[in-house]
Amino acid sequence: MRTRTVQFYDVHFSKTDVKVNERFELTGKFRLMEDWPDAVTPPDIVFVSSVSPGPTIARVETYLNGEPARQSFAKLELGRDYDFRMVLEGRTPGSSHIHPSISIKGSGPLVGPGQWINISGDAHSFAFPIKTMTGLQIDDLQTFGLTNAIGWHVAWLAVAAAWLLFWLVRPLFLPRWLVLQKGREDLLVSLRDTGAGIIVAAIVLGMVFGGYVRANQEYPYNVPLQSGLNKVAPRPASPADAEVKVISATYEVPGRSMRLATRITNKGSEPLSIGELTTANIRFLNQGLPAAVANVDPTYPRDLVARTGLELSSDTPINPGETRELRVEATDAVWELERLVSFLTDVDSKFGGLLLLYTPSGKRVIAEMGGPIVPVFTELK
Amino acid sequence: MAIPKRKVNPKGETVISVSGLTPKAARYSRIFDFLVVAAVVPLFAGAFHLHVMLTVGDWDMYVDWKDRQYWPLVAPISMIMFPAALQAIFWVNFRLPIGATVGATVLLITTWLGRYANWWIWTGFPFTEGVPSQVIAGALLMDMALIVLRNSLFTSIFAGFAFGFVFWPSNYSALAPFYLPVEHQGMVASLADMIGYTFPRSNMPEYLRIIERGTLRTFGSSVSWVSAAFAGFICIFMHQLWWQLGRFASQTTFLKNGDVVKSFMGMKSRRAS
Ligand SMILES: [Cu+2]
Repeated sequence: MRTRTVQFYDVHFSKTDVKVNERFELTGKFRLMEDWPDAVTPPDIVFVSSVSPGPTIARVETYLNGEPARQSFAKLELGRDYDFRMVLEGRTPGSSHIHPSISIKGSGPLVGPGQWINISGDAHSFAFPIKTMTGLQIDDLQTFGLTNAIGWHVAWLAVAAAWLLFWLVRPLFLPRWLVLQKGREDLLVSLRDTGAGIIVAAIVLGMVFGGYVRANQEYPYNVPLQSGLNKVAPRPASPADAEVKVISATYEVPGRSMRLATRITNKGSEPLSIGELTTANIRFLNQGLPAAVANVDPTYPRDLVARTGLELSSDTPINPGETRELRVEATDAVWELERLVSFLTDVDSKFGGLLLLYTPSGKRVIAEMGGPIVPVFTELK
Repeated sequence: MAIPKRKVNPKGETVISVSGLTPKAARYSRIFDFLVVAAVVPLFAGAFHLHVMLTVGDWDMYVDWKDRQYWPLVAPISMIMFPAALQAIFWVNFRLPIGATVGATVLLITTWLGRYANWWIWTGFPFTEGVPSQVIAGALLMDMALIVLRNSLFTSIFAGFAFGFVFWPSNYSALAPFYLPVEHQGMVASLADMIGYTFPRSNMPEYLRIIERGTLRTFGSSVSWVSAAFAGFICIFMHQLWWQLGRFASQTTFLKNGDVVKSFMGMKSRRAS
């Protein structure tokens, strides 16, 4: 399923070593696959997020196609591309594995490639200052308002403790139970106790409504929690310069090898060379094509770039207007390591991916491809 | 000249003298009191805390779930259950008007311990993200109503309602600063929204929050008072239901032994054959 939903590409970490309180950026793009699986809820409500081991990083700003992404988005379009940008900040010293992720309501998070970010410095030096629209400068979002909140809770605990002590100092369970059995309730709760109860009730009501009125006077411009879905337009559609049709696809289980027979049509004006097959964050590169190798960001996690690369039955570029049948082979243990072979056990055995093609002038063409896949459980001769 | 200890009790009777306990037995009963408190407090604290985590869950957990509409409605309805049951147990058996306060107090203490251990020590979330709600105010009113009214039905009607109704104002004073507005990326956010956003919970995308989504109706800013009144109304029934459950749970009953058991225990001779 993961090969047919969200395909991340161009993921870039601006830094992999940061200090506490130092900012870094996580940017990239993703394509929502046209052939979206039926079993996965469509991206009608989407939140752009990062995956980290707890709040080891602080989130400063997030954008989807330049739109603010603090809230969720409505109705992203299938078959289209989006770019994201997250400004993050080191918080907890140590090594944190950080991924971009796209959460889809009903389906959960679809996680992009993860990178280790080394955060150095002193945990206690982290602070997150912020300024309110009422002009209040807050030194640290981690501690602001706590004195007031804990103060109130301590005050309530004090009133409760006083009331409890008022009763707990007296003879308790056994004697009271015996006295009650003898019908002497008058000894257990006196008129004086009732009077004390009325006084406490008055104190409580005074605290509740006095505190409420005071809070309203002190914070007259408060706003409710903000929610609602933002709208965002997809990136302009890239010209459909390449059309990729998968004629047949097999996955050889013992050899961990995906073999595709494809028919590729060049509809553009420049010759096209196949540079990369990417699916579910795994990248198979045509190592003979410098443009494809150069497209791998130095911060891209190495374990997600297949070592054996992409094997093609023909390396000559496809000319404009030409349709060529090509065999494409992607072999690597990473299929198993990343648990992508679920198409062996899925109810609909289909796969998907992006094929990245390059023109001699360096233009990149991204083509979606996919289709049914047949597992082969014995060694092919 | 002997002055009577209390006006209402001219004969100088005390709880101990009327109970018929000897001084020695009274001393032991005091030890028993401490044992009961030591056993019951952690038990109630754990059970009540678990109950709130399961039912109120994220509303009580996160500052950016404490909205005007759902939080003042869901939280008191669930949080009245244990205090109401404890109130029944303490009042029916011992005429102690402290049950609700005991419940609310142990809950608040346990919640803060949980925030400290699980949130700060274990996962490193700032305390501002997990400021809990308290129900001590409502619980105190419940115990006060009971001592004045001395009747569970009237307590349900007046104090059950009060418990639900004062939840919002009594918690707002503690949480008001978190609703200050800030401008973030050209949009308005409350500080609570910002706290939830800045210290990310990877497994909780923003859309999972069940919070007020706005309405066309003209409640406007009174939306929380509508919630408070409705919570109070539901709490009337919750209080009575859980009072009865508490009473039922604290009953001592004996089952009649069957003939087999009696003969096994030697309380009845085997039938001659
Ligand atoms: Cu990871």
